Amino acid sequence: MPKGSPTGKDRLSTRTWPCLIFLILVIVVPTSYALAHRVVLFAYTEGNVVFTESYFSDGKRCRDSRIEVFDRFGNKLLEGKTDNKGQFSFKPPKRTDLKIILTASMGHKDEYIIPAGELRGKAEAKSPASESPKAAKKVFQAEKGSPARQLTSREVEQIRMVVEEALDEKLKPVMRLLSKPQTEGISFVQVMGGIGFIFGIMGIILYFRSRRGR
Amino acid sequence: MHISEGVLSGPVLVTGAALTAAGCGIGLRKLDYDKVPQVAILTSAFFVASLIHIPLGPSSAHLVLNGLMGLLLGWPVFPAILVALFLQALLFQFGGITSLGVNTFNMAFPAIICFYLFSYVVKGENNLISMAAAFACGFSGILLGSLMVAISLAFTGDPFLGVAKVVVAAHLPVMIIEGLVTLFAAGFLKKLKPELLEVVHAKR
Repeated sequence: MPKGSPTGKDRLSTRTWPCLIFLILVIVVPTSYALAHRVVLFAYTEGNVVFTESYFSDGKRCRDSRIEVFDRFGNKLLEGKTDNKGQFSFKPPKRTDLKIILTASMGHKDEYIIPAGELRGKAEAKSPASESPKAAKKVFQAEKGSPARQLTSREVEQIRMVVEEALDEKLKPVMRLLSKPQTEGISFVQVMGGIGFIFGIMGIILYFRSRRGR
Repeated sequence: MHISEGVLSGPVLVTGAALTAAGCGIGLRKLDYDKVPQVAILTSAFFVASLIHIPLGPSSAHLVLNGLMGLLLGWPVFPAILVALFLQALLFQFGGITSLGVNTFNMAFPAIICFYLFSYVVKGENNLISMAAAFACGFSGILLGSLMVAISLAFTGDPFLGVAKVVVAAHLPVMIIEGLVTLFAAGFLKKLKPELLEVVHAKR
């Protein structure tokens, strides 16, 4: 139909182009938020307090999510809820490997293990005063030749505490940085790789199909 | 929508895996091999869609596209979603390998329901009704999927109503957006390639 051609196929395409553009926009624009869909729990110690931060890995904090803390043998030590910033902190009741489990809404779950070695402070202060302070004392003596007085193990312990506190303070920004959502969790390569896999599977199916048809 | 590893109890995982296996069996039997490229394209779309987050609502939710997939594929949606979820678990750590069966069933089963409910209407003559059905298809794909997630969690001990409310509320924006995506996709295909809307299940 020569006369009707502008109203025929052309009209179709003028009506479908906006649809296509809309579709592309819908799919492409939000990809700036394109991030993993899972929860991540991160925990670190400061002094004798354990801090945890939890977030969906698009950066949204997990509010009001359950945090449970277990010891090495799976006994529950304590549990609590994250606050509005997805944070939760606690003092471990005993010195052991801590397994922290985050249960966010809708079946999302993550865990983080803090080895006993990272915990210190009061819980630890009683036990390990035996080895390292003595060694430290010897070093002090050796350096000073004939020391006016010896550092008592108590003093060494105090110095150690002060140094550790100062280190904690210095390392805080680093810890914060580490606990930030790892937004680069998914790379373009992974996405393209996945699509490649799918088309590879398609190729295999079609290959065997075509051989059978022969 | 992806349930993580270690959340669900053993029986739920096994049941989900069994149902998915059955669904995949039917899907592969009914797969018309001329449509394999189309299945692959939609599988890729599904695979990528989960990366598109909807920054609305109380929680973090993403596109799923299971309504659209059901509409365009019919039963082969089962193997398609299984492959996509497997790759997501492998590459992105979404969900988990042990919960793969449950997650596949949670998303593919609503897709099949959508297919039977809406496919015929979407192909219909009346444009308005057809478009409304397409919207409803995308919308209910997510709605039913959310309910499936709530049911799976309920079997593991969480109270059903509480979880259902949270999951459905979290996915409300996604439902609307997927309704729109499905509406536009179906409208687009209906005009340009109506044969894609004809799901032909192979008879074997």
